[in-house]
Amino acid sequence: MKRALDLSAGVIAAYPGKMLSEAGWDVVKVESVGGDPLRRQASRMGGGTGGAFAYLNHGKRSIITDEAQLLQLAEQSDVVVGDFSTQGCQTSGLSRALMQRLAPQHVLCSLSAFGLTGPKSEWCSSEMILQAASGMMFVTGEADGPPMQLPAYASAMTGGTVAASAILAAVRSSKQSGKKIVLDLALVEALTSLVHVQVDSYIERGEVARREQYVKQALRTVPAADGYIYCAPGAVSNVRMEGIAHLVGESRLAEERFQTAEGRMQNWNEYVDLMVSSFANRTAGEWFQLAEEHHLTLALVQTVDELFKCPQLQSRQLMRSVSVGGRGTVEIPGRPYRSSASCDEPRQAPARPGEHTDAVLKEWLSEDADG
Amino acid sequence: MEQAAALPFATRHLVDLGAEVIRVQSHNRGAGAPPDRNYQRNKLMLGLDLSRDGGPELFRDLAASCDVVAHNFTPRVMEKYGIDWQSIKAIHPAVIYCSLTGFGATGPWSNRPLFGPGAEAVSGQNLMIGESDGVSTGRPGTITYADNICGLNLVFAILAALDHREETGEGQHIDISLYETGVCQIGAAISEFSFGAPLPGPAANSDINYVVHDVFPSKGRDKCVAIAIGEDQLALLMGTLGIESVDQLERTICESDGDLIADRLQGAGICASIVSDASDIATSSQLWERHYFGAIDESSRSLPLPGPAWGGGRQTQMVKPHQVGADNRQVLSDLLQLTDEQIGSFYEAGVIGEVADSSRRGRQIPVQLRIDRGELSRTDPTRTDWEDMIVRYP
Repeated sequence: MKRALDLSAGVIAAYPGKMLSEAGWDVVKVESVGGDPLRRQASRMGGGTGGAFAYLNHGKRSIITDEAQLLQLAEQSDVVVGDFSTQGCQTSGLSRALMQRLAPQHVLCSLSAFGLTGPKSEWCSSEMILQAASGMMFVTGEADGPPMQLPAYASAMTGGTVAASAILAAVRSSKQSGKKIVLDLALVEALTSLVHVQVDSYIERGEVARREQYVKQALRTVPAADGYIYCAPGAVSNVRMEGIAHLVGESRLAEERFQTAEGRMQNWNEYVDLMVSSFANRTAGEWFQLAEEHHLTLALVQTVDELFKCPQLQSRQLMRSVSVGGRGTVEIPGRPYRSSASCDEPRQAPARPGEHTDAVLKEWLSEDADG
Repeated sequence: MEQAAALPFATRHLVDLGAEVIRVQSHNRGAGAPPDRNYQRNKLMLGLDLSRDGGPELFRDLAASCDVVAHNFTPRVMEKYGIDWQSIKAIHPAVIYCSLTGFGATGPWSNRPLFGPGAEAVSGQNLMIGESDGVSTGRPGTITYADNICGLNLVFAILAALDHREETGEGQHIDISLYETGVCQIGAAISEFSFGAPLPGPAANSDINYVVHDVFPSKGRDKCVAIAIGEDQLALLMGTLGIESVDQLERTICESDGDLIADRLQGAGICASIVSDASDIATSSQLWERHYFGAIDESSRSLPLPGPAWGGGRQTQMVKPHQVGADNRQVLSDLLQLTDEQIGSFYEAGVIGEVADSSRRGRQIPVQLRIDRGELSRTDPTRTDWEDMIVRYP
């Protein structure tokens, strides 16, 4: 079983370890005596303390250890991952000097906000700051409003997913070459890679894409009798206006002037009025059902609580029960993809810091241990 | 066998890791748009029409000689041509077969089509973006956000599957969807909700864990500074900017250069950044110093292009994307050792083909109109600032 030593504290470098655990790795998280500060963090709307910790640390074991043992454990691991930036070291209580002494078998990966080099390497960050710096926030929001933040943890999740892949690729490369690899990855670069089209348009044509670059090419979200339905001709190739006109029984929507994005923009108010009045008489669920019969791509606009009732997610068993110390169990999303290969049921998130110290020290550091 | 953005983004990252990627696409439909350098660069382009006699057989022969076979069509299409997982597995048991779909390959919604923007809505993300008045719902600012997130998840799944195959000899079916990867992208917020947080909704730019958490317009059109500070930094913020109360924050920033304010605040240890636009990204000394950009030759000049999402574009060799079918001969002779004569007969039967070089663009909408509509902030076709970066970071 491949081993990863996870030195993350807070959200920044936490997700790669979760992904590795879902791929069957033995992931050991090193916590301070007081525990990861993420254990005490509430959601951005308040409440839900510890929820993000449980999600990001699912499948890991937790140990509390001293520096000498940490170095020994690192030598027994394939990969060490943590945030070794100035800000990261402040959060974890570890030091850059320690990082330089860590000697895993294959890959030492720093995943930090801006990276370990460059003029912004010392910068401090938060989720929104990274979204702002990445170029994603500038294009998110309404055309006539300010830039808007993305859902919580967007940069940590995107950067974490990317880092997990980079780690697997680096381990593979290290095994082939016999050389250890040091990775210096940045959350902000992962998020920036998502605005490549906008950056490209600037480099090639000098165009600075703004919020709602696609603003009125598509009325995105149409109110139904309850909630909303996502209906975006233009953004989605097989949603044609005649199909929508037929679906809602409003022949005027099939008129020539509404057929193209440009035409809809020129006749915007009329178009919006027709769409809104046409969708008002059925629920979002009814429209979603009807759309399937008409082979149209309409999507439900779901809230988080609706995800738990979704027949598709139930059928695919995406949600996984986890226990919350003394409070019973809750459901949170499991692995983002299905695989036909056999895979062990992942572990729970560690209930308390250092829960697995003895077991891990015994398994990883005893002389007769394999690997 | 890829279309749209999600799978092409994933396989482009495999390219960047050194994989040889063959993009299979019909030469008989959907052609016309020039190949996209971000999604298609460095790929071998095969023009193959599955609806022709011999098309599915040729696909199966090629699949049998690949490590990974991936598609983003609905399950129905793959079954119709006999190139679904069961069929490929029968001839290539160790294959890693990836189905990237809207909702997943199983379940009551499995045959429904879904595209990236719809995936953002259905996965709960749209209702977590935008003003808190609840009148309208937001969406992530790029049209391919959910696609690209799904693609990045697939890169991991494929690499993990390759490791698994090396350890066990076992291939596998990876069944990944836009919907579920979108749900997992907000997994931490879902988890917080199950741990007792209020239902996540649009909260504009607020975050209850901070006392100041917002964007503030600075000098210049469309320039903003984002600031996030906790209670304990309030005095530091006011001291750094020389203001007596938070009420003066907005006006002070409005009269200042955003970059200078962000630098000054960061110098004092306060979380701040300009809200970067595309020109800020293209000229970011942070990104250039870290070799984020690579270069691609495009109509007699070299253009900077982002590399993989893990950075290091400078070390990535970038080859201009080819037209559909441009690599037919190379692929069929290298992988299947077909002779020129055999390849010729596939051409004659229309099983394989090529799309002529086309740089057709849609009708261009006047730039000023796009600015008036809020699509563009500004445009300056003569700017050379990113060229300066090439000089500064050779």
